[in-house]
Amino acid sequence: MLLMLAVIIAGAVSAPWISRLAGGRGAFALVAVPVVALLLLGRMASGEAAEVLEAYTWVPGLDVAAAFRLDGLSLLMASLVLGIGVFIVAYAAKYLEGDERQPRFMATLLLFMAAMLGLVLADDVILLFIFWELTSLTSYLLIGFDHTQAKARQAALQGLVVTVAGGLCLLVGLIMFGEMAGSYRLSEWVLQGEMLISQPTSGWALLMVVLGCVTKSAQFPFHFWLPNAMAAPTPVSAYLHSATMVKAGVFLLARLYPTLGAHPGWQWLVPLGAFTAVFAAFMAFRSDEMKKVLAYTTVMALGTLTLLIGMGEAQAAVGFLLAHALYKGALFMLAGVITHETGAKALSGVGGMRRHLPWTWGAALFAAASAAGVMPWVGVIAKELLLESALGHGVWVVVAAVVSAGIVGGMLFTVALRPFIGAPRAPRAPEAIHEAGPWLLAGPVALAGLGLLLGLVPGLADQVLVPAARALGAVDPAALALWHGVNHAFVASLGSLAIAALVWWLWPRTLRWMGTAGWDRFGPERAYDASLGALGAVAVGVTAKLQSGLLRRYVAITLLSTIVLLLSTLLLRGDAVVWPQFSATISVPIVLAAGVLVLAVLAIRLVDALSVALILGAVGFGVSLLYLWFSAPDLAITQVMIETLTTILLVLILFRLPRMRRLSSPSQRMADMVLAIFGGGIVSLVLWQVMAAPSPVSISEWLIARSMPEGHGRNIVNVILVDFRALDTLGEIVVLALAAMGGYALLKSPPNTGERES
Amino acid sequence: MSADPWLVLLIGGLYSCAFYMMLRRSLTKTLFGLVLLSNAANLLIFVAAGVTIGRPALVPDGLQAPEGLVADPLAQAFILTAIVIGFGVLAFAVVLIRRAHEVLDVDDFDELKDAEQ
Amino acid sequence: MSLLVALPFLIPMVAGSVSLLAWPSRRAQRAIAVVGTAGQLIAAVVLLVVVWNDGIQVLAAGAWPAPYGITLATDLLSALMVLMTGITGFAAALYSLPTISSRMERNGYYPLMHMLLAGVAGVFLTTDLFNLYVWFEILLLASFALLAMGQERAQMAGALKYVVLNLFSSAMFLSALGLLYGLAGTLNMADLAVKLPALDDGGRVTLVSMLFMLAFSIKAASFPLFFWLPASYHTAPVAVSALFAGLLTKVGVYSLYRTFTLVFTEDVPWTHGWLQVSAGFTMVVGALGALAQTDIRRTFAFLHVSQIGYMLMGLALFTPIALAAGVFYFAHHIIMKSNLFFLSGVIYRLGGSYRRDELGGLWTARPWLSLVFLVPALSLCGIPPLSGFWGKLLIVRAGVDAGSGWLLAAVLVTSVLTLLAVMRIWADVFWKAAPQDRPVRRAPLPVMLWVVTVGLAAGTLWIGFTVEPLWALAERASAQLLDPSAYIEAVLSPELP
Repeated sequence: MLLMLAVIIAGAVSAPWISRLAGGRGAFALVAVPVVALLLLGRMASGEAAEVLEAYTWVPGLDVAAAFRLDGLSLLMASLVLGIGVFIVAYAAKYLEGDERQPRFMATLLLFMAAMLGLVLADDVILLFIFWELTSLTSYLLIGFDHTQAKARQAALQGLVVTVAGGLCLLVGLIMFGEMAGSYRLSEWVLQGEMLISQPTSGWALLMVVLGCVTKSAQFPFHFWLPNAMAAPTPVSAYLHSATMVKAGVFLLARLYPTLGAHPGWQWLVPLGAFTAVFAAFMAFRSDEMKKVLAYTTVMALGTLTLLIGMGEAQAAVGFLLAHALYKGALFMLAGVITHETGAKALSGVGGMRRHLPWTWGAALFAAASAAGVMPWVGVIAKELLLESALGHGVWVVVAAVVSAGIVGGMLFTVALRPFIGAPRAPRAPEAIHEAGPWLLAGPVALAGLGLLLGLVPGLADQVLVPAARALGAVDPAALALWHGVNHAFVASLGSLAIAALVWWLWPRTLRWMGTAGWDRFGPERAYDASLGALGAVAVGVTAKLQSGLLRRYVAITLLSTIVLLLSTLLLRGDAVVWPQFSATISVPIVLAAGVLVLAVLAIRLVDALSVALILGAVGFGVSLLYLWFSAPDLAITQVMIETLTTILLVLILFRLPRMRRLSSPSQRMADMVLAIFGGGIVSLVLWQVMAAPSPVSISEWLIARSMPEGHGRNIVNVILVDFRALDTLGEIVVLALAAMGGYALLKSPPNTGERES
Repeated sequence: MSADPWLVLLIGGLYSCAFYMMLRRSLTKTLFGLVLLSNAANLLIFVAAGVTIGRPALVPDGLQAPEGLVADPLAQAFILTAIVIGFGVLAFAVVLIRRAHEVLDVDDFDELKDAEQ
Repeated sequence: MSLLVALPFLIPMVAGSVSLLAWPSRRAQRAIAVVGTAGQLIAAVVLLVVVWNDGIQVLAAGAWPAPYGITLATDLLSALMVLMTGITGFAAALYSLPTISSRMERNGYYPLMHMLLAGVAGVFLTTDLFNLYVWFEILLLASFALLAMGQERAQMAGALKYVVLNLFSSAMFLSALGLLYGLAGTLNMADLAVKLPALDDGGRVTLVSMLFMLAFSIKAASFPLFFWLPASYHTAPVAVSALFAGLLTKVGVYSLYRTFTLVFTEDVPWTHGWLQVSAGFTMVVGALGALAQTDIRRTFAFLHVSQIGYMLMGLALFTPIALAAGVFYFAHHIIMKSNLFFLSGVIYRLGGSYRRDELGGLWTARPWLSLVFLVPALSLCGIPPLSGFWGKLLIVRAGVDAGSGWLLAAVLVTSVLTLLAVMRIWADVFWKAAPQDRPVRRAPLPVMLWVVTVGLAAGTLWIGFTVEPLWALAERASAQLLDPSAYIEAVLSPELP
């Protein structure tokens, strides 16, 4: 299976060059890529085994392997991905012929194909997730194909954000299950279903996984990105956004059904799917643009699939999935042909094209017939399976299924018929319109024809559907049959056809009223836009508050953090706070300390820079006297020297400065004073806690003892500096050198960005 | 011993003054705050290690090691390093502020707000 | 006992000094820049290999045994960080050659860069907290000078804020050192790890550790102490901001990792609980900040803050997988983020602006460059199978294992915000058509810019596709952090020569 992927990736990587061959016709040769992959798939599936496992080590430390599994379900999906892929590549080669962006497009399309194939074949969930995200990414690049248009960029981002956000949830869910199961293989999860379900957090994990699936498969309320994704070129819409990628979510749900289907939460998929189906059918009904109609009918189909998987109806699900992929792929490509040839995007803007586009019309009729469930297309089998399944689950499910299927059938007939009947009219002059060539029509004709063939010979469909249903846990799926006699399902089917006919009749009459924008003022898409707007406002607001550009506020927040951290620890952890006892006896250090403090306070009151510099010098001298008093002559000397230097420097450099002004308001000064006193107070308090602790045995005793014998110096402080801790002193010298260099660079050169002009 | 609480109070006071000056809008005052903060931190190390009167960390002539308790030489070595490093850093900061005055022609951080947009 | 341990800072120190002596010759300085940074990189590679094969390497400076002298040591975390320093330094040196103005070159740009690299390597190698402070000051002063050198208005304003806030951090660090020494009588971390548990301190060590946490958190630029970073990173020359992005915050995060696994583990629920809070807010607030920007370098600076949160989360959860996830993230992040800064410089060259509303058209005009940009950009968003995806996967797994729901929620929110911020850059700068008055320049790019950006992108791809080597390293590094006995033993009893 790795080989298949390698073939497609190699095709994708070489696509930009191949596309440019033969004067830009090379893109047609890329059809060979999915064909070869399809042949490989066929060879692999022809074996006897019910499933083929293939695994390569990748990241053993994380339990991640390149593990693949080919069973009935993945075979069905892989065949669709590659089979439809063949026609899509051919279609795209023609559709974008001569477009300078075609090479990139073909590469991205093939890359998507590889990602989608990997997704359906993966057995390792992390591997599956990787491919999952890659389909989102390639989908983003393809939706944004027309990237100079703001609308395309927005639609691309919307799709990406919704699917990746869901993807993140999925990742969390998968990891939760992985950690519960002790394994990251789907094939091993199946064996532990009961254990997984019984875990206390399995509900959360399931919710996360389902969130991932329903965003990808555009279920309500996350459906809105899909119709917008129709900004992409038609081959992309046909392939990614109807036949393959959007099925990924449903596919994963189906994959997990045998493992987690018994979870009580699983039932929620039924109402979700049913509601999505009805809602989307309604939305399709009020659309005019062909691709929008098709997009909403796709959402409806995905809702139906979710509904079926929620009910655990394996055979109906895979049957519906197959039939839908065939007709919807065909219809999308045909809609693209109509737009390509006539220039019309809206249904109301085109009519009477039956003579101009006869093949297109024929294929469209075939596909729509299958979609609406008309005898003897394969769609009718799928629909009856659906209705039969629904019958077992209550009336309202049946109603939802009949109504949604009916509306969608009617709308698809509208798409397939209205452009062709009546008087000829189109944006382009009718004389200039002629049938598309074989490259564009091969796909839809083949897919629509296949829909009929599978309907007439259901045994053929059984070949893939029965193993797929088995993979979903169906014990003994019945063979498909076109005619089941007059039963409930048949009656319901007739009912949906009646609704379809009604929709056909109603649509042109109500469009003007239904299509008004007033309907769009509410709903999840508005919520998405609103939350994006709100997010932007919050981001700007929070950032403006925090990163205000005002240094004093930065200092204040930093200081406040210091106070909070220290105070909370002081009060809430460890021993009770110890308070100092002040003795009334006056001694030399107390006088010194008082003097220093008075000077420091004086310094903050003055506004003349020069005086402040001098006073700060005096503070430094006071401190050096304290050092001297408390047995630190070296410190005192150094302090005096350094303080002198600092004062000279300050005076020299700053003497030209203007008088400092009072810039802050009195209330600001008061607030700052409170904060500063709090800050200093907490430092004092912490210091006192440390001093109240028992004195430790210091390593300096060892140093004192060895200073003379081993360090050969009587001044122990000096010996430490030049010998025991010489590295610190080296660093100190480096700091001085750096200060000199930096100061030199600053003083010497005039301003300049530092960047060389290019 | 008896002076300790007063020293602790002094250090807190110096930190307070330094914090207050760093909260000002003036570039120059902020710089003065840094000078003060550096002094205060050095003094804190000194006091936290415990102070001794009249017993500097020297080995008397003729002896291999001082007799009895002496002031902690390691703490003093730390402070010495810190004083010199602090000087280097502050010297650079002084030059920077001087240069900033020339380039920016203001002594008010609030007027540099727009430089972040 | 191995001199090898000191080479990662000795080589740039020597290179810096030689470069200083070669002041008059720009050509010599440029040659030394390449040779010196390459030398540091090679030393770092050798060191990592040796540590991987033979275990922790120790060097007692001046042959005085720990804890009395200053001892240097490398475990896997240190070795990895030193390697990242080497890579970033080498890349920045190469990038500097065609981009740094001759005026800056004449004013000591290269010596300062070497000293910055020496300081960073020193931080990663020392076992002594006071010595750590000295290295911090070296790298700080070098970074001050590099930041302010250009002397443009924005650069001066950014540098001033950067200097003031970092000096505040240094003062707090120094105060914390004094207090800790007063409590324990030693500042060697291995020695502290042995002595602190035996100390009857009544929770005072935890109190002092909060001051260390604060000082390091300022350097690490975590919430709510990150202001200096978005105020300054975008103003420096590109090579400098890339160097900063790779290394400066990492020394803060590294110091937190080192001290809050080795020294301050007395009250883990309290200390690491605070770190969790900080991590969560850092992620979300940083990403929100990124969303509010139009300048791409500032966007990346805010995203940088956001990702510091991921790294902190690894430490804060304090489990084997969480720490390993954090270590993995370190390496991924340094390579990815410095590349994004380099690339924003390239974008500036082509489009003449850093603002995404003034840029456009690069996807059409420069498809290869666009692809190179996509690698680190998508990695930043955590798109698989790039390196950032694995980092996120690991962090999520750590969060799931620890059952930390709200941190997981923060990770998810942050990821989406990050995606929005980065993809907006992509949409505006690359997809949108170039503005009429500002067409994309056609002139070819200097080779060195390609070498650096493609090389780093290849690194991101390599991590993403192989995963296992870096993960194995991260896992072992995490094990060493959680069981520091080997480190302590190696530091406290090195065989003297």
